Amino acid sequence: MRVYRDDQKFLTFRINAVLWGIVAAFVFLAGSFWFVQGVQAEKYRGLSEANALREIEIPPKRGLIMDRKGKILADNQPSYMLQVDRVVMKPLLKADKQRREKLEAFLSQILQMPLPELHARWDKGAAKVNFTQPFVIAEDLSMAQVASIQAQSIAFPEVNVVPEQRRNYPYGTMAAHVLGFIGEVNDKDLKANPELEQGELIGKRGVELMYDQYLRGRGGAEYWEYDADGRRLSEYVPARKQPVPGDNVYLTLDFELQRRAEQYFIENEMVGAAVALDPRNGEVLAMVSSPAYNPNVYSKRFTPEVYKTITSNPFKIELNRAIQGLYSPGSVFKVVMSMAGLSEGVVGPDTSFGCGGSGHFFGRRFRCWKKEGHGGVDVERALKVSCDIYFYTIGGRLGVDKINEYARKLTFGEISHIDLDGERAGLVPSTKWRTENPVKTSRGADPKWYPAETISVAIGQGPLIVTPLQVANMTAAVANGGKVFKPHVVKYINRVQQDGKYKLFRVPSRVLDEIQLSPPALAAVRRGLWQVVNDQGGTGSNARVEGLNVAGKTGSVQVIAYSGWIKATSLPFKFRDHAWFASFAPADKPEIVVVVFVEHGGAGGADAAPLAKLMYEAWFRDKIAGARLDLRNPETLEQIKEGELPLPTTR
Amino acid sequence: MIFRERGPSVDWNFLGTAVVLALIGVLLVYSATYYGEPSLSTAKKQMLWVAIGIALMVAVMVVDYHVLFDIAPILYGIGIILLLYLMVFGRLTANVRSWIHIGGFQFQPSEFMKIFTALMVARFFDSNDRAYLDMRSFLMVMGIITLPVAMIIIQPDFGTAASFFPLYAVAMFFGGIRARVWIAMILLVAIALPVGWFAFLKPYQKERVMIFLNPERDPLGSGYQVTQAKIAIGSGGINGKGFRHGTQAKLEFLPARHTDFIFAVLGEEWGFIGVIIVLGLYLFLVIQALNFAKQARDRGGTFLIICLIAFIIFHVLINVSMQIGILPTTGIPLPLISYGGSSTMMFFIAIGLILNVDMRRFVNA
Repeated sequence: MRVYRDDQKFLTFRINAVLWGIVAAFVFLAGSFWFVQGVQAEKYRGLSEANALREIEIPPKRGLIMDRKGKILADNQPSYMLQVDRVVMKPLLKADKQRREKLEAFLSQILQMPLPELHARWDKGAAKVNFTQPFVIAEDLSMAQVASIQAQSIAFPEVNVVPEQRRNYPYGTMAAHVLGFIGEVNDKDLKANPELEQGELIGKRGVELMYDQYLRGRGGAEYWEYDADGRRLSEYVPARKQPVPGDNVYLTLDFELQRRAEQYFIENEMVGAAVALDPRNGEVLAMVSSPAYNPNVYSKRFTPEVYKTITSNPFKIELNRAIQGLYSPGSVFKVVMSMAGLSEGVVGPDTSFGCGGSGHFFGRRFRCWKKEGHGGVDVERALKVSCDIYFYTIGGRLGVDKINEYARKLTFGEISHIDLDGERAGLVPSTKWRTENPVKTSRGADPKWYPAETISVAIGQGPLIVTPLQVANMTAAVANGGKVFKPHVVKYINRVQQDGKYKLFRVPSRVLDEIQLSPPALAAVRRGLWQVVNDQGGTGSNARVEGLNVAGKTGSVQVIAYSGWIKATSLPFKFRDHAWFASFAPADKPEIVVVVFVEHGGAGGADAAPLAKLMYEAWFRDKIAGARLDLRNPETLEQIKEGELPLPTTR
Repeated sequence: MIFRERGPSVDWNFLGTAVVLALIGVLLVYSATYYGEPSLSTAKKQMLWVAIGIALMVAVMVVDYHVLFDIAPILYGIGIILLLYLMVFGRLTANVRSWIHIGGFQFQPSEFMKIFTALMVARFFDSNDRAYLDMRSFLMVMGIITLPVAMIIIQPDFGTAASFFPLYAVAMFFGGIRARVWIAMILLVAIALPVGWFAFLKPYQKERVMIFLNPERDPLGSGYQVTQAKIAIGSGGINGKGFRHGTQAKLEFLPARHTDFIFAVLGEEWGFIGVIIVLGLYLFLVIQALNFAKQARDRGGTFLIICLIAFIIFHVLINVSMQIGILPTTGIPLPLISYGGSSTMMFFIAIGLILNVDMRRFVNA
């Protein structure tokens, strides 16, 4: 066989052949693109605008919110909303320039909504979402409205009635400040979280806001084919993306305890707050802020008008008083003073002073709340009868900076990082604080802290302000021997996985700080607090529960300065004192802390303590079986309102 | 022959065209992912790939391609080992075991295997200067190409396996085959196909072959993609909708819009004018490379250029054709433009090797 040697000429010939073949292929491709982009461009432009296949979003189902035992506090209810589809409308608008006006007139009549408002909603809705996405123009339609619109669906194909899941809070105002509410995303939300999309409903306050990323779930999508006239043809099922429902959230709140507390505020028309904590782990068992708003009213798309009513309410219903209300702690602060005095050794457990109704400190005369005086008082008795003179003396010996040190240790003056939005820090004064915030006088700024001011702080007045939650945290630390927990309202998050199984994410208990309190000091303070409730002549006897050792401290806070001794009830409402009651039980092995605060309630013992009693009875129902209050009895409620102490009915 | 004292000189027009195509690619990736990704991470990554690609291109230009011929068997061996590794330990990504994961990055050995195999084929023809391949040489060169192809088919990544087709074509067309060998080969394929189909392929592999041949079988994939790509390209018209103004891409109608269907983004946003410019740039690359091939110093250099430019031609023609449905959809990227680390690097290496041969075309260089 002969072997032919290849030569360069032969190879070059083959290369040239290939070259021309490739040039031909490129010319063919260019021609094909010319056909698509030049000749058929109009057709494809039309298809592009009509978007032959459109993605229609399916909103996810928002997770449920439940109390610690699974009682549902927020769920979703089927409802109908009205959407306008501009893709469908476009060709119709070309044929009839007045179409939008006609449609608006039709909808205005059916929705019974003034034309200008409907027009504004249209403009706003259309501006929000992409042209290919239908926008919402009304929600929560009645069945009659749905029927009327469906009847005209041939005349107005661009209007869709779409079922949706509306957020629903079955108990209305119950735990409203903890639950919060939802609303449509705004520009600020979008900036903060690029995952969000226009028109989506997200948590705006409370747990709905703080745990939104769990509750929200993930949206799905359907793909629908549309013809050039905007008519929906069929769904492209294989592409469908199923939405992922949000996680369910279990709160630490106890439904019964929460309801008992809220009822008390409602029945007595009281303004205030109550917090119940588990001192062993920081779980919030109840958190009440009265008066409350109804989250059902706010969890809508079209709320700007209603939204104003929440912020302009004279009782500031949007305020969660338990974590945002700032008040003087009054005599409740004497617990902190005792701990500080005993720990610092400026007094011993047995040191006693004489109280004659008033005393001189730093050149000024300060009154005790009791004109007649308390006679000889040691720390236990001082707490029991809430003697001011005793604590003036300790305050004078400690000085404001030592008081500041202990108050801060016991959680005052900074936020406790509870899993709710808008918590406020309050203020604990010190000489440093005064230097930074001098008093403005006619002679200029005065950066000096005067020792006489310390005397006011010693009984929880002066610039000192705290939230009810902080008082609860402090009480919990006294109850558990010095542990400061990070309080939390969510117990665990329950995720339904794709395989249908549940997965629980527990919110861990976290100790923020552990403070060293001397055991004898702690014991003396606890004995004093027990006497407040259980001893003859204690100020908190209204919180006494048969069969249970409650320990606590009352407090009354002057709202206006008045000279001399005045009977609180003789003042008009807005000048009356605020009432505090901070407590825990059982005194020897604390399981629950209850703090009650009533704005302009008068006296802590009379107005705040009875609620604590009710809450203990609810919580320890089984332990104190046989001795309980019948809250369904209107007479009993009447008695509570009168400030009397109704006797538990025996079963 | 003219003997002139001159060192290796780079053809800057060729190099520049490749870089311009890659930069157009970065712009298109940026535009295609603009709405989905405020962080621009994909476009930034592509920029990084291009930078690495250019560095690799320069690196392979430095070493004389004859040295590469010498180490080609080693590189080829490493590639085969990596493919073996994938067969045993490969992680399934989109039903295909073709990625090796190292740290946060992943790469496809099959992309680099294209270069190594091309080097082996060119090396083979460097020492074989017969006008027609005899049976032994024919089987040898087919074996060199078929070994990696078979391993890639097992992954099963038919798109990548198919992209080795240009090597077969080069070997047969430029190597030279007699008529009876053509007939024998056609008979062999006719027998091997049904036997392989019934004896060796698993059902899911068969399904993938069927999808490759008939895209309508895959409801989520090809038919929908081509329709959307055609709408995107057609609606672009002559002038295009403008940079970043492509609605199809923005509305996420167009799948794989920064990878296999990036040419549709070009067609939509830059119109027919953009399409012609990019096709023109590719054509320039091809014509220039084939000129280099004619001028190469030796047979090995000529074959190396032909093998590498064949890859580029094949990818461009297949990818651009599938955009408007002339050919079925396959996972074949657009050279230098599609998003992707391995393919960007691979094509820059190819460009570098072509320049490498061209630089050393003078015997005394």
